[in-house]
Amino acid sequence: MCIPDKNIYKPYLATIENIIDETPDVRTFRLVFQDEAVRDSFSFRSGQFAEYSAFGYGESTFCIASSPTRKGYIECCFRSVGRVTEALRRLEIGDTLGVRGPYGNSFPIEALYGRNLVFVAGGIALPPLRTLIWNCLDQRDKFGEITIVYGARTEDDLVYKHELKEWQERSDVNLVKTVDPGGNSDTWDGRVGFVPTILEEAAPKSDNCVALVCGPPIMIKFTLPVLEKLGFSDENIITTLENRMKCGLGKCGRCNVGNVYVCKDGPVFTAKQVKEMPQEF
Amino acid sequence: MPKTITEQNLQALIDLLVKEGTRVVGPKRADTMVLYAPLTNGAELDLIELPRRSAKETFFPLCEEILSYEKKDGKTSVTDIDLDKLPETVLIGARPCDSAAPGILDAVFSWDYNDEFYLERRKKTVIIGLACTRGDDACFCTAVGYAPDTKQGSDLFLAPVEGGGFSVEAVTDKGTALLARYGGLFQDQAAVSPLPVATPTMAKLDLARIKGWLDHNFESDFWKEIAVRCVGCGACAFICPACHCFDINDEGTEAKGCRRKHWDACGFAKFTNHASGHNPRDVQPQRYRNRIMHKFKYYDDKFGKTLCTGCGRCIRACPVGIDIAALIEEISKK
Repeated sequence: MCIPDKNIYKPYLATIENIIDETPDVRTFRLVFQDEAVRDSFSFRSGQFAEYSAFGYGESTFCIASSPTRKGYIECCFRSVGRVTEALRRLEIGDTLGVRGPYGNSFPIEALYGRNLVFVAGGIALPPLRTLIWNCLDQRDKFGEITIVYGARTEDDLVYKHELKEWQERSDVNLVKTVDPGGNSDTWDGRVGFVPTILEEAAPKSDNCVALVCGPPIMIKFTLPVLEKLGFSDENIITTLENRMKCGLGKCGRCNVGNVYVCKDGPVFTAKQVKEMPQEF
Repeated sequence: MPKTITEQNLQALIDLLVKEGTRVVGPKRADTMVLYAPLTNGAELDLIELPRRSAKETFFPLCEEILSYEKKDGKTSVTDIDLDKLPETVLIGARPCDSAAPGILDAVFSWDYNDEFYLERRKKTVIIGLACTRGDDACFCTAVGYAPDTKQGSDLFLAPVEGGGFSVEAVTDKGTALLARYGGLFQDQAAVSPLPVATPTMAKLDLARIKGWLDHNFESDFWKEIAVRCVGCGACAFICPACHCFDINDEGTEAKGCRRKHWDACGFAKFTNHASGHNPRDVQPQRYRNRIMHKFKYYDDKFGKTLCTGCGRCIRACPVGIDIAALIEEISKK
């Protein structure tokens, strides 16, 4: 982490080094900080997020989707759905945007050493896990079996298609990819079915295993009972909450779930913690 | 020996401070209402009415620039705000319900990350509090642990005395320094009779008991009952001395503009709305519940303080007559 400026709302400037269209409306930016000192000192942990700004439009909150093991840049992944994300989408390679962060807590990666891991993600919720997936794969010998169950509505809606291929080809990763019924083409080589169903069929063993789950609320809702059935305790299920944020610093007052500030106490929580919160997210 | 100051000398103090370049903020009549606003001279000070809005904007303006940006010849630059240029300020005539509020808000603005926009103004401001001799039916400072003569948060405290003028008490070092510096305007007076302070309208409520109920009643029909009238106008939050929620937005073009931090309210329908359309607080009872919970539970959980000084402004301003004092009194009896 850098020594923050006196002005906590001031972003660092970053240049878009690369753009990847993940789906028709989801885009990845690879960003390089313009200030060399920031480039050298900026560090983060998987699970942390940042505020990205399109000047003239404002800021949006996304996780840092790249792994801290990959130095020299960060990546974010966003869907164009609002004023700011539409403006970000209009930016091109070489353009400048603002980045404030890293904020929030992170995945307890050290506590995962020696454990088997099951990543469960749906749709555009793969980026928050992707940072951790690469973090683990870049130090592969520290972890046991790695299973990734990832699904989206249609083949088009799968993000990181190029990386899914890479994970599929690796012998040390078990990738189970799926699309919702009706979302597949004739050439689809994955499964067809909703993520919770496919997870149940894949039946990863819960022994010495931690499940990392990220997805739309409806997916989480149906995935947690499946994990429970598979023998995962709530302490061994880790997820992230995504609430609307503005400051990211625990001040502006909008991301709270009960007395929990998602921006400071989260975004990473165990299922046990989530169940203890008021159900308002 | 106790000090006093005449009304005339209080005005002279303001004139002197203004002349010296100090920003003096105090209750001032603006058309139909009295607001805390920068004074240009002592005669503008209007201590009769409780200002319609709180004094929080002295530290936390309704809208403030937090940076500016410019794109020139393809290169973007961001320019910081020079906080050193924030003026030395004297907030004069702050009612106890207003002077107590910054001491509550300091916690959230310095929690881990320091919001220097707020903290720098705090540092540079001397608060001259004023005992409240005129309350109304909406006042409930006594219910939440304050009083019309609470000195909490004041650096210097004035209390109106019989025959005009004010008794003066230095509460902090800042107050002592101000008193010393402008000593000529104050008199030594052995015996003064302070005017009676406003009559408390509500007995002290058991805030721990209220919080205890809130701890266990996130799900309750109570929220639906009380919030059914709420129209989500946000007036209660804007005039509140302790509400601190804000939004951040850009103003300008892609080529040039500024970023601003400005008040927001948890009662607004879109406050928590996700880009996906999902809204965790989708209906008004959820939003009103957050308002009560934030003030009487969440803030206490986080910072050990209640986010309310009982000024009663939200009660006066509410277009549909929601009375927060009555609500917490009802909760305290549950």
